[in-house]
Amino acid sequence: MHPVLTIAKYELLRSVTQMRRDLLPVAVGLFLLLVLVTGFAAESGMHLSDGLYTIGVDDHGLATIVAGDPRFVVYQVDGATLARERGAYDLVVIDGQARGAATPRGQAALKALRNDYAGYVAAVYSAEPDLFAAYPLWVDAEELRSELDFEATGAGQQVGLRPGTGAPVPEGTIEQVTAPPAGIGVTAEELRRELVQDASTDDRLARYTDVLQSGTMGEYRTPAQLSPPLPFDSIVLIFVFIFPLYFSSQFFMMAIMNERIDRRGEALLAAPVHPALLLLGKALPYLAGMLLVSTVLLLVLGAPLVILAALLPVILFFLAAALLIGMTARSFKELSFVSIFFSTVATSYLFFPSVFANVHVIALVSPMTLVVYALQGTPITLSDYLYSTVLFYLVSGVLFFAGARNFTEERLFSQSRPLTRIREFIGSALSDRHPYASLSLLSALLIPFVFMAQMMALTLFFNLPMPWSVLLLLVAAAFIEELAKSLGLYALLAKRERFRSWRVLVPAAAVIAIGFLAGEKLLLLATLAQITESVFGAVLFTSLQALWMPLLLHLAGVLIVGGVVLAGGRRAYIPGLLLATGVHVLYNLAVLRGAIG
Amino acid sequence: MNRRHVTLIAKKELRGLSQERTILLAVLLQVFVAVFSSFLMVGLTSLYDPAALSRSVTTEYGIGYAGNESPLLARLEAADGVRVYPMDLSTALQALRERKLSAVVHSPDTRPDGEEPVKLTLYTLQNDLTASVLNVRLKEVLGAYEAELRELRADRLESTPIPLRLPVPRGAEFFEFVYGLLVPLLVLMPAIIAAALIIDLITEEYQQRTLETLLATPVTFTEALWGKVAACLVLVPLQAGAWLGLLGLNGIRVAAPVEIVLHATAASAVLVLLGALVSLHYRERTSAQFVFSTGLVVVMLLALAMPANPLNLIAQLSVGAAGAGHWGVLAGVAAFALLLGWVMTRYARVVARAFVEG
Repeated sequence: MHPVLTIAKYELLRSVTQMRRDLLPVAVGLFLLLVLVTGFAAESGMHLSDGLYTIGVDDHGLATIVAGDPRFVVYQVDGATLARERGAYDLVVIDGQARGAATPRGQAALKALRNDYAGYVAAVYSAEPDLFAAYPLWVDAEELRSELDFEATGAGQQVGLRPGTGAPVPEGTIEQVTAPPAGIGVTAEELRRELVQDASTDDRLARYTDVLQSGTMGEYRTPAQLSPPLPFDSIVLIFVFIFPLYFSSQFFMMAIMNERIDRRGEALLAAPVHPALLLLGKALPYLAGMLLVSTVLLLVLGAPLVILAALLPVILFFLAAALLIGMTARSFKELSFVSIFFSTVATSYLFFPSVFANVHVIALVSPMTLVVYALQGTPITLSDYLYSTVLFYLVSGVLFFAGARNFTEERLFSQSRPLTRIREFIGSALSDRHPYASLSLLSALLIPFVFMAQMMALTLFFNLPMPWSVLLLLVAAAFIEELAKSLGLYALLAKRERFRSWRVLVPAAAVIAIGFLAGEKLLLLATLAQITESVFGAVLFTSLQALWMPLLLHLAGVLIVGGVVLAGGRRAYIPGLLLATGVHVLYNLAVLRGAIG
Repeated sequence: MNRRHVTLIAKKELRGLSQERTILLAVLLQVFVAVFSSFLMVGLTSLYDPAALSRSVTTEYGIGYAGNESPLLARLEAADGVRVYPMDLSTALQALRERKLSAVVHSPDTRPDGEEPVKLTLYTLQNDLTASVLNVRLKEVLGAYEAELRELRADRLESTPIPLRLPVPRGAEFFEFVYGLLVPLLVLMPAIIAAALIIDLITEEYQQRTLETLLATPVTFTEALWGKVAACLVLVPLQAGAWLGLLGLNGIRVAAPVEIVLHATAASAVLVLLGALVSLHYRERTSAQFVFSTGLVVVMLLALAMPANPLNLIAQLSVGAAGAGHWGVLAGVAAFALLLGWVMTRYARVVARAFVEG
């Protein structure tokens, strides 16, 4: 048998025999309970925002409409009394006129009432026999692809859509199009069915935000359905997929941690197998288990199995991160905190972009958007797949490499501080005999992390209004790049006394800059074409237009950090980093000004 | 049970936490979630309701209007934030492709009071944020046009809805998201962290084989357990309070912070003691965490399915809508925690006896 399989078998046996005998029945029992409770919760609804508002109504019919909404505590009182005691309610309705109290709560109550009333009106209208009298206006939304990509803006064209005084005159040749037919081509009954279906999915997340319209993307929409739909059901399903994966990766994390308790892993380390194969064998049962769980979930939900392809990079990423966390945590507490922190950040990265799945291409930074697409039936192209998963594959690969490289007695059983350990982990990737070559390689290997962190910043800042989003992104992107470039250098300077000189620093900075630029170029060309087309792309990747300018910029950044550390010692690292970031931001601003004007 | 011993153990565990500085991660996590959720909110507001960000400059969007003349044209001309140009469809579409327009509307020659519906065609750019912003702006105009058309066809309608005049609400875009979801869930997070912590503290003694050393001291097993529980519980009001403070900094005022912290602490006492019982039984982190987490999901779902659950009460308290009934629920949760505490004490004695006897 192949050594990897032997170790996998051993790992599987160990985890089965180490379990207490009652764990399996308890787990099955809990699972059954979970199914029961889920059924019960679905039946009775979630009571999270019950009774937030009080409303006084003088009309029985209107009171019945509101009574169906648990957010309201409804009082039916006659109009005169209501007018006198208005202050006692968040909202009063007298003679068909609603008035909300001038508090946030009163206004929110008003908003809730508007939604409820709109739902009621829609229910009345969609039951009309003559649907086209009740809904006389339908909108057919067509999307065009712009001919103007972002590169064109560099040539002096305007990005913004500021209208001038007269009607705009296109420069290109006008392609004659025939006017769309006036007929709708769908029967009223089909449209009615969509309307009813839409109403039933209307109140869930919309309750919390009130601005999001959830709904099926039918061909035709009424004006009320015009906002882009939030893929709510699919987003909930994302959690159904992420949680089991997160759990299973916890088991792997613990299996690695267990090898370190009482130096139990000595036997494993003594095996005549390469550490990479050892880790592969140990991870195999968990990988198989996670794939199995996902497949079962997909089959139960009746979802397309293509989703597995989108989940695979996420699974690998979770496993690789679990490996490193399990190798570095000093105690169970630290393991818990680090893994909770990691999972929150990772889940945000995976989850939040997919909220925008139907709005903007930026959503594709998360593989979970692919899951949403697959569930919705939106076709996925190969370039979409590459674009949203390649970073996950690369980062997992590099993390796994770091784990294998450091899977030694010295690293596993050390109890130094986390920051020291990180430095040691990076340091062991640097070879003593070929310091320059390994520095260059290291900075190229860090590129996927840089991109991932920048994407994280992008999803975070993308939400802010325009000037702020770009500015914050600029600073964050510069900081992340300078940090990544200086990490290897810092580890090298801390590792060996003999490297601490200007004679080493200058060539070291040069090879780092070259490695970084090469990695950046390669990865960008391969994948990120879609992002680079948008204005955010210009902010993140300004340093890519010409080759020698960014090379100088990268070189200057590393030299600044290295020089400050040489002059001021290791404590000067942070100030040096900030200085380099400042220079980087100024450079980017200058380039952007030239590009956008 | 000796109270000094319990405090001693609690202090030891807290010191361990602060020495490892892992607690910093928990703080960082709080800040991260707070920043992320408030950023997300600002973003969603500006995306779906641009009027909400009135301070930012309102840009005008150019729209091409093609096809039949209709009252819609006048309505669009009167609308804020858009500028309409009546144009030929082919020219307008080319201008849109060149980004000289933000959208093109085509109106058919359907009679306003005809049998057939009026089908507008709305052209926007793919993958462009202006499209969704524009949709929001057009929604109101098109809604008013729809009402006008509906009025013309009113004689064909069988029933009319009960009339209700509603003013446009001001502010409060995310009131329910913040108070009905964010506040209760954020306040609950420290409770879950505390429960994860107690499992670590107990199983670590077993797995690192430090239990014998601990029991060789004058501290009994029961005292040690209570010390650990106390250390975890002390953190909850601190973290929950910090959350409420952070929310306050974000401009989100919470009505009854003291009551909310009390509810959070009582609920986490239940969770921490459940965690302690599970880890006493399994003595091994993987199994204990697994069983506890699955159980936690069951308990949470069950609680949420019931009216007047602590999370709902926290939401009501945060907006100042809770009646005096919440004290009853608080007492109930506290009583349940006491019962669990009693069970844990009994269980700990059994475990300790078994340990001493071999």
